[in-house]
Amino acid sequence: MNGILQTFLVLGILLYFFILLFLIKRRTLLLKYTLLWIFSGIIMLIVAVFPKIMISITHFLGVVEVTNGVFALILFFMLIILMSITSIVSNMKEKNKQLIQKCALFEKRIRELEEIIKN
Amino acid sequence: MKKLIIIPAYNEEKNIKQVADNLIHNYPHYDYVIINDCSSDHTQNILENNNYNYINLPVNLGIGGGVQTGYKYALQQGYDIAIQMDGDGQHDPKYLEEVIKPIKEGKADIVIGSRFIEKDGFQSTVLRRLGIKFLSNLIKLVSGIKVKDVTSGYRAVNRKFINIYAKEYAQDYPEPEALVNAAMHSAEILEYPVIMSERLGGESSISPFKSVYYMIKVSMAIILYRITFDKRRLK
Repeated sequence: MNGILQTFLVLGILLYFFILLFLIKRRTLLLKYTLLWIFSGIIMLIVAVFPKIMISITHFLGVVEVTNGVFALILFFMLIILMSITSIVSNMKEKNKQLIQKCALFEKRIRELEEIIKN
Repeated sequence: MKKLIIIPAYNEEKNIKQVADNLIHNYPHYDYVIINDCSSDHTQNILENNNYNYINLPVNLGIGGGVQTGYKYALQQGYDIAIQMDGDGQHDPKYLEEVIKPIKEGKADIVIGSRFIEKDGFQSTVLRRLGIKFLSNLIKLVSGIKVKDVTSGYRAVNRKFINIYAKEYAQDYPEPEALVNAAMHSAEILEYPVIMSERLGGESSISPFKSVYYMIKVSMAIILYRITFDKRRLK
């Protein structure tokens, strides 16, 4: 990794953190779901500031070019975040279904109550 | 002064009857509400058969959402003081009078029943105590408030914080974060020494496996909450 790439990486990650904090501050992101973003950001920042860590890891893994190692790392984080989003959405889907079902059951009970009151 | 005890209950079929009966018979001048967080055991049957005052959540929300429902109810019914108390029998209502005394006298906004002031009774494991101590120091660092038992779910709040918590309450592991929130709203927080017993039955909400994850998550949540809290929003 040369100096220019390193500088832009660090700047990019700082922008990433700025947007993240801005969104949390605006309360458009739930804290719970941003922890993974923050965690990946910190790791990327460490790698960008101390590229030697990445150099030895990529060497160990047999990756020729260090920048490829950095891309692979970012891709890895993206996959993890996508997986967690899938799990969050599935969870929400399930709870939404339960809510609709209970709502329908309540509606039926209210209808029956109304019938009783009418008669 | 109207006082409400909020009891969050998730799968507490073994304990909830004892907890509720004790309150009804021995502390009749307190109102109570049990929040059944979509329990999968017989908690709901017990609540129904005994004619307790309870709210059934149609979907499981977790402890934060459950407790917040209690605060919303307290706000709607116009209560002056709300007291949170676990549904598992760990919290002895005999301290109620003393815990709410500073709130009645206007000396505090929030009072926390703390295990660690007189170091008596059930003290939890060494590791967990260390974790709580760390969180306590972290909260002191970011918000300046000194609370020893930051994870205690035995707490009383005045009307101002019934309002605030009804609108905004942390969802996952809410006790420490709710304290930082309170500090941001410049709360006067006091601790009162209580003796907690070990759970009567059932399981704790935090398993040892999750503990490390819990610590990291809560620490980051506290720090982020502090960084991103916009004091201008209060005006």
